[in-house]
Amino acid sequence: MTNEWKDISKDEFIFEFESLDTVYHTQISHQVRLLSNSAGAPRLFFSEIETPVCADGVCQLAHINVYWDLLGNYVGYGISPEFQLTKFEHEQFGKEDYIKLHQLLLDDNSILKRRKVSDLIDEAPVATSTIDSEVIDGISGATKTEIAESLVKGGLYSCYTIWHLVHGEAQEKMEKYLTSISSDTLMHYFLYAPYNDYQMFALRELPKEDFKEHATQILNIFRTADGVGKAYILKKIPSDILSEKEITSQFYNEFSLIDVNSRTLLINRLKSAHPDAIEILSNYLDRMTRNQLKLYLKCLNSDPNFISKNCLSNLKKASKNTGFTYHYLLREFLNKI
Amino acid sequence: MKTLKLILFICITSFYTNSVAQDVLIEAESFVDKGGWVVDPQFVEQMGSPYLMAHGMGVPVENAITNVNFKEKGKYHVWARTKNWAPGNWDAPGQFKISVNGKVLKNTLGLTSGWTWEYAGKVNIESNEVEIQLSDLTGFNGRCDAIYFSQSKKMPTEAETNLASWRKAKLGETTIPEQQKSYDLVIVGGGLAGCAAAISAAEQGLNVALIHDRPVLGGNASDEIRVHTLGIYGKFERILKMIDTEHYPNGSYKAKYDQERRDKNVKSYKNIDLFLDWRAYDAISENNAIKYVDARNTATGERIRFKAPRFVDSTGDGWIGFWAGAEFSYGRESSKTYGEAWDKWGELWSPEEGDDFVMGASVLWQNEKTNEVHDFPELPWAADVAKEHKAIAGEWQWEFSRNDLHQIDDAEEIRDHMLRAIYGSFANAKKLDENKNYKLEWVSYLVGKRESRRLIGDYIYTFNDVKNLTKFEDAVVEEKRAVDVHYQINLKDSEEPDFLSEALFYKGPKYYIPYRSLYSKNISNLFMAGRNFSCSHIGLGGPRVMLTTGQMGAAVGIAAAICEKYNVTPREVYTKHLQEYLEVIEKQQ
Repeated sequence: MTNEWKDISKDEFIFEFESLDTVYHTQISHQVRLLSNSAGAPRLFFSEIETPVCADGVCQLAHINVYWDLLGNYVGYGISPEFQLTKFEHEQFGKEDYIKLHQLLLDDNSILKRRKVSDLIDEAPVATSTIDSEVIDGISGATKTEIAESLVKGGLYSCYTIWHLVHGEAQEKMEKYLTSISSDTLMHYFLYAPYNDYQMFALRELPKEDFKEHATQILNIFRTADGVGKAYILKKIPSDILSEKEITSQFYNEFSLIDVNSRTLLINRLKSAHPDAIEILSNYLDRMTRNQLKLYLKCLNSDPNFISKNCLSNLKKASKNTGFTYHYLLREFLNKI
Repeated sequence: MKTLKLILFICITSFYTNSVAQDVLIEAESFVDKGGWVVDPQFVEQMGSPYLMAHGMGVPVENAITNVNFKEKGKYHVWARTKNWAPGNWDAPGQFKISVNGKVLKNTLGLTSGWTWEYAGKVNIESNEVEIQLSDLTGFNGRCDAIYFSQSKKMPTEAETNLASWRKAKLGETTIPEQQKSYDLVIVGGGLAGCAAAISAAEQGLNVALIHDRPVLGGNASDEIRVHTLGIYGKFERILKMIDTEHYPNGSYKAKYDQERRDKNVKSYKNIDLFLDWRAYDAISENNAIKYVDARNTATGERIRFKAPRFVDSTGDGWIGFWAGAEFSYGRESSKTYGEAWDKWGELWSPEEGDDFVMGASVLWQNEKTNEVHDFPELPWAADVAKEHKAIAGEWQWEFSRNDLHQIDDAEEIRDHMLRAIYGSFANAKKLDENKNYKLEWVSYLVGKRESRRLIGDYIYTFNDVKNLTKFEDAVVEEKRAVDVHYQINLKDSEEPDFLSEALFYKGPKYYIPYRSLYSKNISNLFMAGRNFSCSHIGLGGPRVMLTTGQMGAAVGIAAAICEKYNVTPREVYTKHLQEYLEVIEKQQ
């Protein structure tokens, strides 16, 4: 997130969450604050966290300012120059270490989530440089390698502790808090904000009857979303919207630019699109997988009127393209019609 | 060398010439000496037959050889049913030749997209005893399903020859297998679930047939696939320890250490008849009860009809239930169907609208580091899939699923995609000096599936049973492993390879699976154990691993014995004899 940082003018306490003090095994409370912009619109969650990051109390306390977006997703952290994070034997984190910590915290499905800290300590560490088939078998599956790649070297406890603080109880409370402040205004902001998570959240909340009003933005989101987002839109967009000539044209002309799974969904939805979609897709026959082509031809078969002059011309052209793996399916199809 | 007995000579009248022409169909898997070629029976239902494959991992394999008696000498045209398994703008990876009595036929084979007949050439047969050889040219998975000799020049078309009836006619098969065998319980599928079912039923005194389409037992745990087992033993520790493995890493050669022990333990039961290399191909039901299961030897083509009062479907793909007309499901249900949404993961966990985007199949592989430099060729046909990805070994994340590919119907394409990913990634890694001493030690050619058909029972097990800690009165399986479901990582980042996955976990306390999920709702004498048990897509996420499915097997083996004792259906074990059943299970500890 970039712009949100620039216009914060309000800061209010909203709730506390707790974490375990690894030295005294007691709970420590941390305050979460809601940051709003000059117009009073909520933009970020924030917490100044102070916590031990090792089991024996020898390490320095970590002081870290953590920021989450309004969905509770970690977005960044800040460290005061006088409270640098430390790792093994009090060595300070270097620039690369801070970058790695940020990458680790961005991973909300980190393997750290499923492991106790004791699971992370390899009693007989294996030098990765000597990996061969024998040594690979000496490691417990991919796990240790995966963990090692996730962590700041020598900063295991710091990484583990901070990750669980960032991705623990605080996030659950933020999700609940968002529900309490949810409004049409906020959802409109989410839908038009340049962040995929916000867009998808808004789309899930968006009633189908409102799709038409936001069709242009939904198409923009479709163009930039990942495969999950594209699939969601293609499944959810109501048939009466998709079937509009202009909307059909915009979605189906994306065919060659989008991922393979979304292409399948476009073909799956041919029957609820404007008939132009059939002809548009005939331009992209050589981009289809075998099963996609079969689905497309099945659709053509269902109504001879679907095969326009241009469409037929494209079918013939692709059937002669020996560089297209499945041109033989087109030949078979053309022989039958 | 023995002469192949299965070949049938059929005289057919040529439509065009009105003359009598001789033709001979040879199923490649029947070759007496398979050399370095392997029998691949995984895709029989899709392409019609097991086939021979030259799985040499880049090194051409030894010739497959067989001898055939020809009744008629003369000139023959020869075709092979084969395919180019990675078609594209490059040389086909799996090329091979046929030689007849030492004469190499003119045409190279394995060049055409999709399973089809390719013309090998013509040959003059001058003696009745004919030797046929398949010569692999590449070491990269050339495949031959059948060879067809005909005195007619008319090329068989795929449309007529991939039909089961055509092959039956050519091979002279009757509809009903001549051999018939009767048992108390017939179990199809020799993974851990099937093995456990056979052992527990045999220990209860039943005469059992265990039919498995591979030469070794264990399914995904076997030395052939090498997925390590996960889960707990539940009430069946003694039984499962007989067939389990040590926790070797996925793909490790250590899988072989427990292979022999597992096979020996199952074979030690005198009342288990083990049919290795037999693949079931049909289940015949009347009045919603299965009467027979028909199976065929994957190499010889010999057939047996298996009769029993009850059957266990532990095929993984739910084939017995499917053939018999059992209700089944496939794919991801909508999140509302069973209320399985998890907002944190949204569509990746359970979609608002159901779809067929299930967890994928893995093909595991492993390297060997040597003291010598090993070359590995550049592979244009693999680069298309691997792109820039480099790897010297695989793990569970090597997994493929795509929403236009069905895990059963398109399993061969899925397997082949994984082979291209493996060979291509290894070829990329070999370009680095640090990997010059690595060679491919092992690549599986068997698809290790996670999810496909699920047969519907009296109870459909879902994620809610895990979340709510449902303690069923008929709980017979218990598990504490986290529920995890996989998605392809390229869904989140299109720059990532399409053959790698990631797991989403839900960790809770111990959960239980009811007996009612282990028998069919509408086929009255069918049990199921394994990933085809009655559950939702997310419900499968936790119990899909092998020790959990092994528990299912052990539980249905005991239930089958109760059925036998009282002459009742699987459902009636629940409605009439549950207490006795649970007591027998309790004694297993």
